[in-house]
Amino acid sequence: MSEVLPLAAAPEAVERAPKRRHPALAALRRLFRHRLFLTGLFLFGIIAFLAAAAPWITTADPNRLSMRNKFLPPGGDYILGTDNFGRSLWSRVVWGAQLSVIIGISVVALNAVFGTLIGALAGYFRRVDNVLMRINDALMAFPAILLAIGVTAMLGPSTMNVILALGIVYVPRTARIVRASVIVLREMEYVQAAVAAGAGHWRILRHHILPNAMAPMIVQLSFLFAYAVLSEATLSFLGLGAVPPTPTWGNIMAEGRDFMRDAPWIIAIPGVALMLTVLGLNMLGDGLRDVLDPRLRIQQ
Amino acid sequence: MMGVALRRLASALPVLLLVSLITFGMMRLIPGDPAAAIAGLSATPQQVAQIRADLGLDQPFLQQLVHWYGGLLQGDLGRSILMGRGVFAVTMERLPVTLGLSAYALVLTLLIGLLCGIAAALKQNTIIDQLAMVFAMIGISVPSFFLGLVMIIVFAVHLGWLPTGGYVPFAQDPWGWFRSVTMPAISLALLQAGLLARITRSTMLEVMRQDYIRTARAKGLPYHQVVFRHALANALIPITTVVGIIISLLLSGAVVTEALFSIPGIGQLLTQAVLNRDYPMVQGGLLLVTGFLVLVNIGIDLLYAVLDPRVRYE
Amino acid sequence: MQRSLLASCRPSAVAALGLALAAGIAATPAAAAPFQCPQRGGDLVFGQEANVNSLDQMTSSTISTRNIAMNIYESLVTRDENNRPILELAEKMVESDDRLTYTFTLRSGVTFHNGKALTSADVAASFDRYKRIGLQRSTLDNVDRWETPDAATFVIRMKVVQPTFIEALSSFSVPIVIIPAEHKDDAPQQLRPVGTGPFRLLEFTPGAQARLGRYDGYKPNTAYEQATGFGGYKLACLDTVTFRIVTEASARVAGLETGELQGVEDVPTKSVAALRGNRNVTVLPLENWWIQIALPNTATPPTDNLNFRRAVQAALGAEDIMDAATDGNFRLNVGFQFPNQPSYTDAGKQFYNINDIAAARRFLAQSPYKGEPITILTNRDYPAMYNAALVMQQQMKAAGINAQLRVVDWPTSVQMSQQVNSNEWHFFHSGWGTQPALGALATMQFLASPGANYRPRDDKGDPDVEAAWNDMNTKPTEAERNAAFARMQQLVMERALAYPFGSLTKVQATRANVKGFRPFRIPRFANVWMER
Repeated sequence: MSEVLPLAAAPEAVERAPKRRHPALAALRRLFRHRLFLTGLFLFGIIAFLAAAAPWITTADPNRLSMRNKFLPPGGDYILGTDNFGRSLWSRVVWGAQLSVIIGISVVALNAVFGTLIGALAGYFRRVDNVLMRINDALMAFPAILLAIGVTAMLGPSTMNVILALGIVYVPRTARIVRASVIVLREMEYVQAAVAAGAGHWRILRHHILPNAMAPMIVQLSFLFAYAVLSEATLSFLGLGAVPPTPTWGNIMAEGRDFMRDAPWIIAIPGVALMLTVLGLNMLGDGLRDVLDPRLRIQQ
Repeated sequence: MMGVALRRLASALPVLLLVSLITFGMMRLIPGDPAAAIAGLSATPQQVAQIRADLGLDQPFLQQLVHWYGGLLQGDLGRSILMGRGVFAVTMERLPVTLGLSAYALVLTLLIGLLCGIAAALKQNTIIDQLAMVFAMIGISVPSFFLGLVMIIVFAVHLGWLPTGGYVPFAQDPWGWFRSVTMPAISLALLQAGLLARITRSTMLEVMRQDYIRTARAKGLPYHQVVFRHALANALIPITTVVGIIISLLLSGAVVTEALFSIPGIGQLLTQAVLNRDYPMVQGGLLLVTGFLVLVNIGIDLLYAVLDPRVRYE
Repeated sequence: MQRSLLASCRPSAVAALGLALAAGIAATPAAAAPFQCPQRGGDLVFGQEANVNSLDQMTSSTISTRNIAMNIYESLVTRDENNRPILELAEKMVESDDRLTYTFTLRSGVTFHNGKALTSADVAASFDRYKRIGLQRSTLDNVDRWETPDAATFVIRMKVVQPTFIEALSSFSVPIVIIPAEHKDDAPQQLRPVGTGPFRLLEFTPGAQARLGRYDGYKPNTAYEQATGFGGYKLACLDTVTFRIVTEASARVAGLETGELQGVEDVPTKSVAALRGNRNVTVLPLENWWIQIALPNTATPPTDNLNFRRAVQAALGAEDIMDAATDGNFRLNVGFQFPNQPSYTDAGKQFYNINDIAAARRFLAQSPYKGEPITILTNRDYPAMYNAALVMQQQMKAAGINAQLRVVDWPTSVQMSQQVNSNEWHFFHSGWGTQPALGALATMQFLASPGANYRPRDDKGDPDVEAAWNDMNTKPTEAERNAAFARMQQLVMERALAYPFGSLTKVQATRANVKGFRPFRIPRFANVWMER
C-alpha cells in the first residue's frame, strides 16, 4: 500500500497573492494546455467511462459461472478470456473498474470532509491541536497496510468497510497537510486583520483560510484517489477487500494467482487496468500541481 | 543534540501509548477465534474447545488490558498464542529478515532514484530527462504486488533465473539469500525509486538556480565540481527527509511483498498474527515496530540538523 | 491367561494390530532382506504450502507441523499404510483378559537424538506431559494410571474397558510422541525437538524453513522389512531434508520444474498436465485428501426443517461442486469413509448426488420456506471451500432458493459455525481430512454432541444419531462398531444433517530422481533416496 507522498503539498505553497479575475477559469485554461494533465485525463477518462457504462457495455453477468468455458484465453467469444470458473474477464474487469472508481471517490470524499475538518480545527484552535495531532500521529505511526488489515478484519470484509478502513488510514495524513496550510494562513496579515475586525472564528475559517488552503488540498486529493484505488486492490488481493465473488481487480488477481503459470492473462488484464488507472491519476495530479501550486512543480 | 533526542523521545511516548491502546482495542473487536486459527483445518470441535479452554480467553476486557500493561511495565511484551514463545524474541528473530530486505531495497532505491534524478536534472529537457521521468512516473504507478507477480512469471517461471519464492537465511547461504530477496527488493524499490527520482530532480533544479551555484560557475570552477560539491551536497538535505519516509514506506510495503514471496519477515509475522487473532503478538509486535519507526524518524531529524546548519532545535 | 499381540486371534483392537503386522510383511514378499538404501546422501528440499508455528507435536493439530515433526518423532503405536494400528517403539503389546491392562515391551537399542537410550521412564514422562497439555488428552480420559515395572516395560491401566482405546492411542492427529523424560516440563509449543525418528532437527527458521539431518544412531524396527504408514522398517538415506515454506502454488510448481525444489505438495490441477509431460518430474496424486462437505445449521429456520434440508439435498449436484472445488481432480464418494477403508459403507447413497431440481421444488413446496435469504458461510483461506460454496449457491438458486454467500476468514467461520443456536448462517462449508483418514470413529466425532457440526438446537444432538455414535464407541467387536457406523451414516444422510460432496485429490510431486517417495497424507522421508 502506498502512503501519501510527502511532495503533494507543503505549507508555504499557500503564501501567494490572492487572485483577481476568474482565477478558476484561468487555471482551467492552463490545465487544458498541460500535456501531462491531458494524458492523465485521457487515461483516467477511459477507466471512468468503463465504470460508468458498465451495465451497458457488458453482456455477461460478471458472476455467472460457466465451467465448460473455463480458462479461455483472450480473443474468441470472450474478448478478454475467462477465469477458472469460466466467468467473462471483460465483464469482471469492467465491473471492477466501477468498484475502484466508487471506492476512490468515496475515500476522496471522506478525506475532503474529515481531513479538512480535523486539519482546520487542529491548525486553527491551538487548544485541540495537541490532542488531535497526537491521535493523528498514533494512527500514522502504524504501517498503513497493517492498520487497514486490522480495521477490515475488525469490521469484516465488505466494500463499505474497505472505504472506512482507507478513510481511517488516509484522513490523518490529509488532516496534517490541511493543518500545516491553516497554521501558515492563520498568521497571514489579512487573516490577522479580519481577527482584529472582530470576525468570528467560523467566518474566518470559511472565508479567509479554507479557500486559500484549497489548492494543496485538491492536489493532495487527486493523488489520494490513486492511492485509494491502489490500496483497495492490494487489500482485496490479500483477501481483505470487498467480499468475493464481487469483481474487484484485487479479487480477480488473487483468484488468478494459482493459475499465473498457465493462465497469466487472468492477473495481467486487471493488473494492467490498475496500472493505467493509477498512472492516469498520478499524471492528473502532477498537472494539477503544476498549475495550482507552481512552487511545487517537479516536472518542467 | 542529546537533549533534543531525549525530548523527541519523550514526546514519542504518548504516541506509542495511543498506538498500543488502539491496537489492543482493535484486536479485541475482531471477530473470530484464535483457537480455531491455532487448531487449523484438521482439528475436531473437541480439539478446538480444548485449545480455547487452555488459552483462558474468557477473561473480561479490562482485566486483560490491565494484565497487558502490567506486563509491559515490567518489560514483558507477553507470549505469542500461536507460537508459545515470547513476543520480543519472535519479533527480534523476524526483524533482521525485513531489515535485510529493506536495506537491499534502500540501496536499489538510492542507486536508481538518485541516478535518474540527477541525470534528469543535469540533462534537463533532453531525451534523458524525459525517459528518466517516464520511468519514475511508471515506478510510482505500478502496484508492487503486480510487479512482483509479473517478475515471478518472467524471471522465475519462464526464465528460471531466480527462485520463485521461499527465503534462504543469509547466515546459511549468502548467495542463496541474495537470490531469494532480489525480486522482492526490486518490487519494493521501484515505487520508492520513482519517488526519489522525482524529488531529486526537482531539488537539484531548484538548487542549481540558486545564486551561489551561479557564482561558483561564474568563478570558473569545473562543472562536475560545482555539481557534486555544491549542488548535490545541498540537494541532499531535503532528500534525507525523504529517505526517512522511504524507510517507513519500505517496512510498510514489506507486508505485501513478504506475503507474495513467502519471506518470513516482520510484515508476514504481523499479518499472520492479525489473521490468526494472536492478540499478544499483534500488540507487542506492532508496538516494537512503531517504536522502531519513531526511532528512525528521530535519527533522520537529527541527521537533518547535522547536514543543514540552518536547522537548530530550540 | 494373557494374549500376546502376535499370537492373538480375537477380533479386537489387538487383532487389528496383528493383522496389520501381517499385512506389513505380506506387502513385501519379494524382499528377502530389510530395506537398504540404494544410494546414500543428497539434500532434498521440499516445498511446503503452509507456515509452521511450532514443532511441538503434542500441542499442535496442524498438518504443517505434522509434515515436519512426524519425521523427527515416533510413538508407542502408530498407523500403517492403510491406517491400521501398528506397534512402533514397542515390540510387543499384551492386552489382559479383562481388557483393562495394556502391557508394552519397548524395543531395545532405541536412542534419542541426544544419544540417550529410550526407557519406559521416557514413555511415562511423555504420557505425563501429554496428559497435562496434549491437545487430544481426552484420549487418556479412561486411563487410570501408567506404570513402569522395569526399564523396558510400560503398563497402561484403564478405569473402564474402552474397545477403541488402541485405535485412539495410535491416532496421528495429535499423536503421543515419545520424548526424553527431561523434556517433560517443556511449556506448550516449546518442546525441544529431540525424538527417536530417523531424522533429527538441524535448524528451524520459523516462517522460512526447517532443516532435518539423518540421525546416524537410528535403529530400525526389525519386526518389518519395509516402511509402512508412519512405522515399519525405516532408514534415512538422505543427508538432509529441508522443508521450505513456499506459499504460492505457482512458485512451488516452478521451483520443482527448475530443480530448486525436489518435492512439493499441493500442485494446482491446472499445472498437473504440464508436469506430467515433464520427464524430470514424477506426479503423485494423493486420493481422498479430504471430504468436501457442507453442514446445515439445524438450530434455526428454515434449515431446522427436514423438508427444506432435503430440498437442498435434492438440488445439489456433487459433480459440478467437486469439479469447481478441485478443478477436476476428485472422486465422487458416498459418506464419510473411502472405499479402501475397512469401515467404508455406502449407506444412504440414495441421498447423495441427487441433482434433481423437480424433486427439490417438491420438497421446497412442503417446507415452510418463503423465499427468505439463505446464508452459505464459507471462507477464502481454503479455495476449495469457497469454490464449492459458489457452485452450491448457483444450484440452490436454480431450485428457487434465495441463497447468499457469506465469505469470512477461516477462524471467523469456525467461530460462527460453532456458536450454539446461531441464526447468522444456514450452511457451513468445510473439508474433513485427517479424521476420515483415521477412520470412522475419528470422523463421526464431527457429528456427535457436544459440538455436533449440524449445530442442533441447544447443542443436543439427534437422539438416534447419538445412540448410533454411542454404539460405535462401546460395542465390543469391530463388526458391531462398523454396523453402528453404517447406521449413523444412513441417519445423517437421510435426515440431511450433512452434505458430503465427494473426496478431493491432492497432488504431490517430486523430481524424477527422487525414489521411494510414496504419496501419503504426511510426506515421509525415511526410505527415500536420490539418484545422482
